[in-house]
Amino acid sequence: MTAHKRYGMSIDIDKCNGCGACMMACAVENNIPPVPESANDRKGITWIRVYKTDNHRAYPDRRTAFVPVLCQQCGHDTPCVHVCPQQAVDVDPETGIVGQMPERCLGCRYCMVACPYHARYFNWWDPVWPAGMEKTLNPNVAPRMRGVVEKCNFCHGRWHAAQQKAAAAGIREIDAADYIPACVEACPTGALRFGDLNDPSTEVARDAALPESFRLLEKIGTQPKIYYRSRRDWVREIASAPRPDGKDQHRG
Amino acid sequence: MIGGKIAFASGMLLALAGGWIAFPRILYRTRPQPVDFSHKIHAEKAGAKCEDCHAFRDDGTYAGIPTLDRCTSCHAAAMGATAEEKSFIDNYVTPNREPQWLSYARQPENVYFSHVAHVKLGKVKCERCHGNEGGSANLRPFQVDPISGYSRDIWGRPVNRIALRNEGGMKMDDCVDCHRRQGLEYSCLGCHK
Amino acid sequence: MTTTRRNLFKFVGGGAMGALLTPAPWRLITDTALWSENWPGIPRPARGEITTRFTHCTLCPAGCAVRARCVAGQPVSLTGVNPHPISRGALCPWGIAGHQLPYHPARVRQGPMREAIAAIERAIRKRSAGERVAVLDLRPGRTVSWTYRRAMAALDGGLYVTPPQSAYAIDLAAAKTVVSFGAPLFDGWGTPGNVFAARTNFRLIQVEPVESRSAALADIWLPIRPGTEAVIALALAGEIAVAEAARVTGVDEKTLGAAKEAMAGGPVLALAADPASPLMNWNAKLGALGHTVVARRESPVPDTWKKAAPATQMAAATDGTIRVLLIDESLPGGYIPWSEIAPKLAPDAVVVAFTSSSEGYARHAQCALPTAVYPETAEDVGPAIDTVAAVFRISTPLIAAVVPVVNPGQFVSRIAGLPPSDALRERADVIHKAGSGMLIGYADGKSTPVKAVTADDFWKTLNQGGCWMDSTGKQTLPGKLEFTASAEPAQDELPLTVVATEPRRGGLESTLLSKLERESNLRLSADRVALSPVDARAGGIENGARCVFETARGRLSVAAMIDAAVPVGVVEVAGGPRVADLCGANGRARVVRA
Repeated sequence: MTAHKRYGMSIDIDKCNGCGACMMACAVENNIPPVPESANDRKGITWIRVYKTDNHRAYPDRRTAFVPVLCQQCGHDTPCVHVCPQQAVDVDPETGIVGQMPERCLGCRYCMVACPYHARYFNWWDPVWPAGMEKTLNPNVAPRMRGVVEKCNFCHGRWHAAQQKAAAAGIREIDAADYIPACVEACPTGALRFGDLNDPSTEVARDAALPESFRLLEKIGTQPKIYYRSRRDWVREIASAPRPDGKDQHRG
Repeated sequence: MIGGKIAFASGMLLALAGGWIAFPRILYRTRPQPVDFSHKIHAEKAGAKCEDCHAFRDDGTYAGIPTLDRCTSCHAAAMGATAEEKSFIDNYVTPNREPQWLSYARQPENVYFSHVAHVKLGKVKCERCHGNEGGSANLRPFQVDPISGYSRDIWGRPVNRIALRNEGGMKMDDCVDCHRRQGLEYSCLGCHK
Repeated sequence: MTTTRRNLFKFVGGGAMGALLTPAPWRLITDTALWSENWPGIPRPARGEITTRFTHCTLCPAGCAVRARCVAGQPVSLTGVNPHPISRGALCPWGIAGHQLPYHPARVRQGPMREAIAAIERAIRKRSAGERVAVLDLRPGRTVSWTYRRAMAALDGGLYVTPPQSAYAIDLAAAKTVVSFGAPLFDGWGTPGNVFAARTNFRLIQVEPVESRSAALADIWLPIRPGTEAVIALALAGEIAVAEAARVTGVDEKTLGAAKEAMAGGPVLALAADPASPLMNWNAKLGALGHTVVARRESPVPDTWKKAAPATQMAAATDGTIRVLLIDESLPGGYIPWSEIAPKLAPDAVVVAFTSSSEGYARHAQCALPTAVYPETAEDVGPAIDTVAAVFRISTPLIAAVVPVVNPGQFVSRIAGLPPSDALRERADVIHKAGSGMLIGYADGKSTPVKAVTADDFWKTLNQGGCWMDSTGKQTLPGKLEFTASAEPAQDELPLTVVATEPRRGGLESTLLSKLERESNLRLSADRVALSPVDARAGGIENGARCVFETARGRLSVAAMIDAAVPVGVVEVAGGPRVADLCGANGRARVVRA
């Protein structure tokens, strides 16, 4: 590995149409099982989840926005890393990715309490796929058993594959085009972008520097690496984001 | 009173003998490989090197134990006169059935091990982890722990893992030992998936 | 030493202590934990060589190009093909999980094939004069559609029926302003990749009672009262005053004024949720014909095929005359409510549905014969509504059918006495012979003129990842757009207007879609409806309560969600065959607590 990377994403809320292609691609890539019929949105496993939010006004002034929320890959005082009694989650200094190891997890769910973004999910049940559908599992990601917590790892299986491809050519540095998480690849509107925030030439780094970019819950200081942006003021208000013109009243 | 001490001591001795001598013997089951393949014959007579059958693909993935098509590229018909080869052709080549080889080094599902990173970047030799398979005239017996399902090679031959010969096992501790010596420590997801 | 109980306990105690000093218990604990991680029932991903294969998605007429990542031949994930000039590498949520459909637990796996053939042949022989044999093709425009038309022409009294079709194509790239009357432009209309590639070129005015996804992303949303779309068209055309339109539709004057202004800058296009809606006629007044609304181009067919029955509508058939009805529901497509079909059937009619889903016509047909499911299907995908060029693209099967299936084209062909043939190959050869257009290969993204490849290479590329496209020749005007509304009596006693917002196409959907519905409440599932808080309160309905959705035609058990984005007097549904059967085109309904 050469220079340290800080992988992050930029999400254009004004482009997201809430189709859910990212959620499906994530479930396919990461062998996320379907939950039993009785489950609801509190027990579902959706490593990336698109939330439907609105400006809280009555019809017909109501306006909707869709916000995809995944693990924010907190860069500072990462809450889940702090609380885990098993060290089942760590921050990779080379990539900045907060990696969850379900094989170490004992299922206490302390990290789920600690995560301010509700981005962690618990396996209430053993994974069960309909007969024959287990043939469609992705060999690059291990299925998890019941009783462990899981979350987005920025498609580590794809990172491994990119590294293997580079190693086959005798190179240690991966080709950025080979490492694209499933959600970013699947997004049909182009709302999701992924890249190295430390590399100023990437789209993501440029998006992060835009005045209309903000991060969720910035004031608690977790330094997440997912940058959202929207030109609509009411979206920024909901996200407690400072106004792009600097006249913000939301800093706490 | 002394009877009590004898009872205790004999119980203890029995348990120690059972745990140290009998347990390792009964823990493992031996399963036969589908074909008694000889690496030596293929290396010497066919002039094959490791990479001819255990090859890397273009994307860096490892072919591992070769599939039947690799064998039939030469063995579509009998090449020698051994009964073993004939039985291989009758049972596998003719009905086009894949031999269900038992892999000595099969790791758990959550382990990500990249052969190409170790061989091409790390310059690690095959024998370092797999032993001198290439020179063997027969395949080693496959010993498996029926409870966990993993082969004896993973845990290492000694049950207590104290008297492990150099590089004798394939558990995480064994990988970590070598990685630490090389100064190559990564985050967990570097080797897990 | 005497064997007392005390000594026995000491013996056991010594044994226990000794055992702890051996590796045995520690090893057994580790092994048991490992066993519990791998016990039977824990699925293991397959291992094998990773290869790439190409095909086209058949889940909707868009037919997006698909790159499949296969492990030992089995597709494990699907993505788009990036250099593709139409689909541009995009797939929708349904397409992304399409490779799981063959293993869907609710898939129709068997059907009485022999009995069905016997019943059909008997009915054809024994029918009286004037009784017809009909094929209902829910996804017209495919090569197999030609087979049905030829079969019905060969059979005496054969009828080829489709849902109302549009003979036009939409050139979205040429539009500067799009006025969409409920057409889900950003959520299931046309080809997603094509729509989003063109997004920055046009302004969208979405005219819709509910704030759908398209309305949320539109430049202007006109929140109308349901059923007042035509008034908006008149207002935007300047034929009635904005104030009058505001009064009737409920949209405020300022927004209407802004919409009118937005239309001033460049080619306008009108779209409607139903491609055969009378609202589409407005395009003639807007000057869109020949610019944004153009004739649909079809790829060449062999001359021998031209002796084919014309496409007709169910409504045109005489009541009580259809003796044999064969419904091709093998690909998700349009759905004609059963109430429009049932009167056309003769007494003793034989109805057979070729389908893989038990939710559609399998509920009404006498028997359902299982068909191949994407990606087992081997046929071509017809053009999408926004495909301006003539295209020919084949959906190559990625796996063999996992259950015994029937090929509807061959079935109908045999019944009509047509000689067996490889229709796809015949058509490909004719296209190649015509010599026009380009062959686009997906593996390398290269475009080659058709003239420069042999017929065999042409066929091979089409089957291994490629498509044929012909944009040459001037774009022509479509035929006159003169759609008429279907007469539907208003059910005044039912209080709510039904609005369907989800792009449901019927057919099987991946089990993973629960992530978008139950597990996240992002989309409305087929067993849910959404009500405004006012209507919910009036009915005493809590969020998620079990209710009965009742129309003049029947009832359905649903869960009711409260959504403040739904206006008063409207019930939002997900659509699909069950709801279509209950509501028809202009539905009204009541929702009561169960």
